[in-house]
Amino acid sequence: MILKGLTWLVLLQLLGNLINLVLLPALPGPIIGMLLLFGLLLLRRSIPESLEKTAALLLQYLPLLLIVPAAGIMTSGSALLDDLPAIAAGLVMSLLITVPFCGWLMQRLIRRLDLKREDQA
Amino acid sequence: MTVLDWRTAWAAVVVHPLFSVALTLIAFQLALMLYRRSGWLVLQPVMVGMLLVVGTLTLVDLDYARYREGASLVAMLLGPATVALAVPLHRHLKRIQQLFWPIVITLAVGGVLSVVLTLAIAWALGAQMPVLMSLAPKSATMPIAMLVAEQLGGLASLAAVFVMLTGVIGTALGPLLLRWAGVDHPAARGLSYGINAHAIGTARALEEGDECGAFAALGMSLLGILIALLLPFALG
Repeated sequence: MILKGLTWLVLLQLLGNLINLVLLPALPGPIIGMLLLFGLLLLRRSIPESLEKTAALLLQYLPLLLIVPAAGIMTSGSALLDDLPAIAAGLVMSLLITVPFCGWLMQRLIRRLDLKREDQA
Repeated sequence: MTVLDWRTAWAAVVVHPLFSVALTLIAFQLALMLYRRSGWLVLQPVMVGMLLVVGTLTLVDLDYARYREGASLVAMLLGPATVALAVPLHRHLKRIQQLFWPIVITLAVGGVLSVVLTLAIAWALGAQMPVLMSLAPKSATMPIAMLVAEQLGGLASLAAVFVMLTGVIGTALGPLLLRWAGVDHPAARGLSYGINAHAIGTARALEEGDECGAFAALGMSLLGILIALLLPFALG
């Protein structure tokens, strides 16, 4: 069950890598693979059980898979430390603005849509 | 056996590929236990696990390239896991259709604002190019951010750290900022958590409720795709 789902995921990534090399150098192979899978699911209109199970398993352990590349910080720690004030300011200050702004904008748009639907009803 | 023999044997074990695999598995499980027991969103398993790995590697004097080679067995699954992100996205299809335009507009405006503001502030304060290129995809979920950073000439590991920091800071400040702005609609709160604090924000949104959580997951996945699709073209 899991193997079948995994086979699909691996094949779609390989296809994504192929497209990345030949047609779309700007998009990483796994991302192209994800878009292909999303397209396939749209066509199929449902998620096969094997895929559902494999995806749940892999995504559950996503943090484990991410530890290996994240540890690469060992080799780039100095770049981080050099620019730490600029990075911290950029991250925090932009969040102070974008968090309330995104919420406010979405809320406003939802209310407008609700009003429109009421008018039509 | 003499002490020296043990040392030689130990050195051979450390360079065995399975040492890296074991180290990663143990570090992850310890980090996960710590996260669950403490209940602190700040103690992200990726961050704590990464710190444990880096600490151990330094202690046993193994360099990163060697570790990465050994642990490639684990890291190799990251690609298929990224492909698998299409599954939860497909599950939210109905909600996307219901609020299509509010979602699209908020994602586009909020996403662009978030990237532009972060880059502008960091650039104005003198951050260097590789740092900026690793900072640019920080609003995407981690596997996507890492891939995109590498594509842009940044560093995947640096991008991973920025994603973690963004998630932790955004989640810590989120409830307060949203209250100030008078945002009480669960879908709006959720989408903002998802856009600004991805996976960590989604965890917090789920605590606020089901609808909030679903929109956070949606915001996270859609913005991730948007960043993966557009950022390399915008900055490349």
